Amino acid sequence: MPFRPRIAQAISSLFGGPAVRDRAERLHFPDAGHGYDRFGLHPDFVALGDTIAAPMYEKWFRVKSYGAEKIPTTGPAILASNHSGTLPADGMMLWTDVLRRTDPPRTPRPVADYFVATLPVVSTLFARCGVVSGSRGNARALLEAGELLMIFPEGTPGITKPFSQRYKLQEWRKGHCELAIRYNAPVVPVGIVGAEEQMPQLGRIPTGGFSAIPHIPVPATLIPLPVRYHIHYGDPIRLDQEYSSNDADDPEIVREAAARVKVAVQALLEQGLRMRKGIFR
Amino acid sequence: MISVLVTGATSPVGERLVRSLIADTRVKHVLAVGFEPEDRALPFSHRKRLTYLPVDLTRGRKVRELLFGPARDLECEVVVHLAGNSDPHDKGRKIHRYNVEALRSIMDLADRHPTIRRIVVRSFGVVYRVSLDLPILVREDHPLNLSPSAPQYVRDRVEADLTACARMGLANCEIVVLRCAEALGPGTGSQLYDYLDGPVALRPAGFDPMLNVATVADLVLALEKATHGSGEGVFNVPGYDTLPLSECVRKWGVPALPLPGALIKPLYNLRHAVTGSNFEYGLNRHRMHFGLVLDGTRARKVLGFVPSSPVDWPMGGPIN
Repeated sequence: MPFRPRIAQAISSLFGGPAVRDRAERLHFPDAGHGYDRFGLHPDFVALGDTIAAPMYEKWFRVKSYGAEKIPTTGPAILASNHSGTLPADGMMLWTDVLRRTDPPRTPRPVADYFVATLPVVSTLFARCGVVSGSRGNARALLEAGELLMIFPEGTPGITKPFSQRYKLQEWRKGHCELAIRYNAPVVPVGIVGAEEQMPQLGRIPTGGFSAIPHIPVPATLIPLPVRYHIHYGDPIRLDQEYSSNDADDPEIVREAAARVKVAVQALLEQGLRMRKGIFR
Repeated sequence: MISVLVTGATSPVGERLVRSLIADTRVKHVLAVGFEPEDRALPFSHRKRLTYLPVDLTRGRKVRELLFGPARDLECEVVVHLAGNSDPHDKGRKIHRYNVEALRSIMDLADRHPTIRRIVVRSFGVVYRVSLDLPILVREDHPLNLSPSAPQYVRDRVEADLTACARMGLANCEIVVLRCAEALGPGTGSQLYDYLDGPVALRPAGFDPMLNVATVADLVLALEKATHGSGEGVFNVPGYDTLPLSECVRKWGVPALPLPGALIKPLYNLRHAVTGSNFEYGLNRHRMHFGLVLDGTRARKVLGFVPSSPVDWPMGGPIN
């Protein structure tokens, strides 16, 4: 990073306030010896991320969340959510919401697409806040260490979905269920309502393989609209209790489990859309 | 009580291992082999428990004479193979013979040797492929760097590693391969040490990957555990320190200069041309973007190895 943890600490103390510092100090993470975990997470940068996200979380998107008590407080678990909005603000808001609403605070470990690792500065800041690249080995290591993974099974096609496809889940990847079964982790379905309207897309320009980024979106607005976010957490799906680790090798079981998670997320989205009074309310 | 043959005994790791084995009451005799003449090698007291021999391991006949001569006479049961070239700029057939064929000869001969029952091979973390779609935390089943465009320095290490691995379970003796993290120290062949040893550390702007570094003491500890252990396999040997590249540079006390990646390689090539420094940016480019941390779980469970010696950082002190 261009600056040291103590500068991140100073910024978070100055602009984030005591609540942010308190969360950072109570954060449980496996320190590999120099204040960082083996993937690069550092509590002072988590506090910095918390500070940067706060104006968006509190003022811009005015996040409301429902059912955060369903997030396991310890042990391996996977948050599986819909993904949308052109910019990954939904990931940032979900990360912030989990950090603020778990006690003791848990840092979810967002699993990002490979191209994120190629972005200068962003990749480093993300890593310091807990983001990991989406390889199976990284996910395995984190679940074995009892961490909380944050996965968007729609992937990049989700975040770049056209406006006409809002709240319609795109192709739902299955890797999260395979991981959940193999490493005995409950899956908590999450429905994020609001993000799908934040930055309607006019189109997208393919990069033609010249970049690790698959395409450049063309949004209708330069910045996200101040939609209100509603984050709904569903009851954990205990795949770990229904299947043995070896069942993770059975494609039919994994497919069926992924379909269940997808149905649960879709149900949360529909519930959230029914509950909200308008895009900005 | 066992006797141990150590190749590459005059390297920093080899010298320290020999010292340690001599002090070990479970070891009867150490047969140390290196390139240097006897009067310039291993200048320490050994109470008649050490024999040093200068042997050119690139010559098959010399290897045979070593194993079926002094090694047989001293009833060596374990071979610890540390010999290998450490300068990535060295190339050619002779280097390949030293890095790969010497090990192949030792293994061929050990298979029909009357006393050798175990071979411990020091391999390197550099054998692993580093890529954005691969995990940062590397287990022993991680893909190896088999790229045909990799420099000989890497290809030789991968070939030597695979040469040893391919014989596991088939040879008459047990084979242990230790894929070691870099030991920060002069003469250890550590690219990171050569990088930090410069007047300024150029690093890719915007990237700050996680690295794991070891000490010579920890590598020696792992080699000792492997020497006295049983069974065979491949084991990662991580170091005690896991930290970002920027912290590494800061703790070493060298100024860092972030630059676009495209500028760094020519500048380090220039440094090599002017000062003869061993650091080769092309070898480390991916690691300096995406990071690599060895997972030592297997070595802990099977060999009982836990890294315990932190690097003595020149600018140590508080983490922040």
